[in-house]
Amino acid sequence: MFHIGMAEQPVSIHDPKANDSKEPNASPQQQKQMEQAYAQMKRKMAMQEIGRKIKHKIMVLSGKGGVGKSTVSTGLALSLAQQGHSVGILDIDITGPNVPKMMGLDGQRLHVEEGRIHPAQGHLGVKVISMAFLLEDEDTPVVWRGPIKLGAIQQFIGDVEWGELDYLVIDFPPGTSDEPLTVAQSLPDIDGMVIVTTPQDVALLDSRKSITFSESLKVPVLGVVENMSGYTIRGKTTSNSEVTIAGPGGKSHKASSDEDGNFSVTLDIFKEGGGKDTAEEFGVPFLGALPFDPGFVRGGDDGVHRIVSDPDGESAKAFSKVVDSIVEQISESPGEGLEIV
Amino acid sequence: MAKTLPELKRLERRDLDVLLSYDNEQNLVVTYDDIKHACPCAKCAPQRNDDESSKYLRREIEAMSPEKPKVKTVGKYALSFEWINGCSSGIYRFERIWALANKLDPDDGKSYVHGAW
Repeated sequence: MFHIGMAEQPVSIHDPKANDSKEPNASPQQQKQMEQAYAQMKRKMAMQEIGRKIKHKIMVLSGKGGVGKSTVSTGLALSLAQQGHSVGILDIDITGPNVPKMMGLDGQRLHVEEGRIHPAQGHLGVKVISMAFLLEDEDTPVVWRGPIKLGAIQQFIGDVEWGELDYLVIDFPPGTSDEPLTVAQSLPDIDGMVIVTTPQDVALLDSRKSITFSESLKVPVLGVVENMSGYTIRGKTTSNSEVTIAGPGGKSHKASSDEDGNFSVTLDIFKEGGGKDTAEEFGVPFLGALPFDPGFVRGGDDGVHRIVSDPDGESAKAFSKVVDSIVEQISESPGEGLEIV
Repeated sequence: MAKTLPELKRLERRDLDVLLSYDNEQNLVVTYDDIKHACPCAKCAPQRNDDESSKYLRREIEAMSPEKPKVKTVGKYALSFEWINGCSSGIYRFERIWALANKLDPDDGKSYVHGAW
C-alpha cells in the first residue's frame, strides 16, 4: 500500500468511488486531474473533521537542532496521557523521525483500512504517526523537496484516523521552514506553539526566531520550555557536613548534608535561566525548566521514555509542571479578568 | 517589562478607537489606525522599517473605511484584532498595547528582522 519515492503523494491510497465522477469522454490527463481534485477536496474535509475531533493541538518547535525537541514532545504527550487525557503525537520531522524509537515502536508498520491510516499505539496508549513507519530501514534517508514534503504532511494530517483525542502534540524538525507553515495552514484551530530551548546563547537566539515565526503564522506561543537546564548530583557523606564539588569550568559548588548525610547539588551544565529571560523579553509565558537527565538518553535508545520508566522521578514531575502550565494557557477562559465590550 | 505592566481590565470598542482601562485606574485610548499601523505580523512589520514605507502604510490604513474590529484574547498574554479591511494576522502582546496607549514606539526603535521565512 505504501511506496516511498519521488512522488507528490508518498502514501498511495486508491478510492474506487473516485471513478464514479469521471466524465465518459475525459482524457486520461483530465481523469487524473479530476481524481487529484477529488482527493484534495476529500482531504480538506477530513482535515476539518480532524480539527473538530481533536480538542487541542500543540506544535512543538525549536529554532536550533539538538535541544531535545522530540524528547520534550514525547514527554509532554506521555505526561498528558499520565493525567488521563487521550493523546496523539504527529512526528512531522520527515528527514529525521525519532519519535517511534522513543515510544518503543521501532520497526512497527502502520495499518491502513479503507484508505485511512491508523496510528500505532505507544506507551500509555499514546497514538503515534511518523515518517519512520514508512521507511524500509532506518538508514534510508528521505530526500524530498518542498512540494513532496508538503504532500506527505497533508496526507499525515488528512488521511490519518486519529479518532477522538484530547491533545495532539506535533513534533517538528528544527527551524522555521515548510513544515510548521504547512501544518499551521492545514490544521484548523491550533492552540499554540511550545518553543523548546537550551540555555546557551545560540539556542536562545534561534528560539527568538521561533517566537517571531509564531506571530507570522498567527499561532500563539504557549510558552518557552528550557531543556537540559541543570544536572543534579546526589550523594551521601557524614551528617551535617559541607561538601565541595568541582563543576563545569572549574567552578566550585558547595552543599550541606542533612542529618542522614544526604546532599544534592545542581550543576548548570550550560547556563541557567536563559529560557526564562527569553520568555520575559518577548512577553510570552515561561512554562518551566526540564533537568539534564541522562536517563532520557538511555530511555530514548531503549524505547522506554523516562516518564514511563520512572513516573515519580524528578523529570516526570518537571514535565508534569510544564504540562500544567500549558493546560492553563489553553484553558477555556483565556485572558481571565479582561472584559471586552 | 511584563512585571511592571499594569493589568488590562477592560477594553471598550468605540467607533474609531478602543478605551483601555487598567488596574492602576488609568484609562487610555488607542485609535484603530494606530493599532493597524503597529501590526506585528511578518507582512506589516517590515513596512515600518523605513520612514517612507511606514508613511505609505499609514496612508493606506487611513484610506480604509472605519470599522470596529472583533477582539479576542490570545492565551493570557496578547490580543488579536480581526478586521474586515486590513491585516488580521498580528498577535499584539499586552506590552505592545500598553506602548501604543502611552504613545511609545511599540517596536522599541528596532527594525523587523526577517527571521521567519
